Amino acid sequence: MAELTDASIPNLAAGCRWGGTIEAPVVLFPEGAIKVEGTGRAILELCAGQLSLAQIVQKLEQQFILAPPGKIRADVISFIENLHAKRILDY
Amino acid sequence: MPLSNPLALIAEITHRCPLHCVYCSNPLEMTARNEELPTADWLRVFREAAGLGVLHLHLTGGEPLARPDLAEMIAAARAAKLYTNLITSGIGLSRERLQQLVDSGLDHIQLSFQDSEEGSANWIAGARVHAHKLELAELIRGHRIAFTVNLVVHRQNIDHLEKMIAALEALHPDRMEIAHAQYYGWALKNRSALLPTKAQLDRALTIVAAAEERMRGRVRIDMVIPDYHARFPKACMGGWGRQLMLIDPAGHALPCHAAGVIPGMHFDNVREHALGWIWTDSAAFQKFRGEGWMPEPCRSCDRRTEDFGGCRCQAFLLTGAAAATDPVCELSPLHRIIEDAVREDTTQENAVSDFREAPFHVLQEKMGSLWSYRTDPK
Repeated sequence: MAELTDASIPNLAAGCRWGGTIEAPVVLFPEGAIKVEGTGRAILELCAGQLSLAQIVQKLEQQFILAPPGKIRADVISFIENLHAKRILDY
Repeated sequence: MPLSNPLALIAEITHRCPLHCVYCSNPLEMTARNEELPTADWLRVFREAAGLGVLHLHLTGGEPLARPDLAEMIAAARAAKLYTNLITSGIGLSRERLQQLVDSGLDHIQLSFQDSEEGSANWIAGARVHAHKLELAELIRGHRIAFTVNLVVHRQNIDHLEKMIAALEALHPDRMEIAHAQYYGWALKNRSALLPTKAQLDRALTIVAAAEERMRGRVRIDMVIPDYHARFPKACMGGWGRQLMLIDPAGHALPCHAAGVIPGMHFDNVREHALGWIWTDSAAFQKFRGEGWMPEPCRSCDRRTEDFGGCRCQAFLLTGAAAATDPVCELSPLHRIIEDAVREDTTQENAVSDFREAPFHVLQEKMGSLWSYRTDPK
């Protein structure tokens, strides 16, 4: 599996896209959909092929200033790797 | 429990197909071309489905490419915000037509393979189609859509599963579906040639687990196991009338691919009824919904909320009673039907064919004692 680094730029994989409604968004992929809420949604909205992992972490740290140091980075990495294994995110 | 909305719509837009696969999931009695639902009705059905909360549309057949209005259907589905998946053999798909389907909004294409060896693949499909599929895989990879390769596994090809997986991996799919034949329609008719032994299945499971590990992050593997070797039945279609609707080429709405075999059922047609009414109120969708219909041992079983008593069509096909516990279940009083089938069918010799490169009419004649090829609607 390719290594996720600070310079990696996560993006939705081919054939994966946003769907559902504005109130209840989902990410659609072959044979399935995931409901995206709360922090998951905050992370995934930044995984759009524009920002690097380092930039995504920085943005979220500004947004969630009360999170313990290092926690956001660890959460983002585990979230991205999990969706990468399901072929929903590329980086 | 309140009724949830359907999540996926399976649109069997035609039964016509240039392939003759011996495990085809289509019914033995097929819809003829002149009975097929017109374009305008399909487009309305897709809009109604999206309105009900359906997320995924699976365009299948037969061979969906046999319909010249396929691109129009994809565009309408996409406009209705459905995720569109094309399940295809690839026959009838040129570079230009693929471009047209992608431009219309296709999200995902699922290309079927019969084997990795050309002679064997063509022998199973009853048509010389393997080489075209390989060319097509490369064209598909040139587009930014999801690409699944589907391989149906059975006794005649399972012994070289490792080779088949490696050949499919070389096509760079996002997803690989390794589906053991499910015994309905043509596959049930040909079960004695297709059902693998328990030892073959166990070996296949090890091979797939190793492939999954090796390809993690690159290719997602989904596996469908042959339920004849399982202890408990599959949660067929996620439960009757719980998640899925299937529309057949003539417009009848069914809870699953095979439900047409159950006697005494009436399936309402989308030409006469709104999809929402069919989902909530039609007799067919309510028939085995929930738990009221369940006999013992299902009725008091803890697994009833997981597998919903298994498959109604399989129960009918094997026991003669659609409301019986699926005989796959080891708790079924009729489980010996499955044990007998496994014992009898898997002792048959495998086929050694000298006719693998032969044209279809020769295959049909020479293979008659082994299996029946799927034939097209009249």
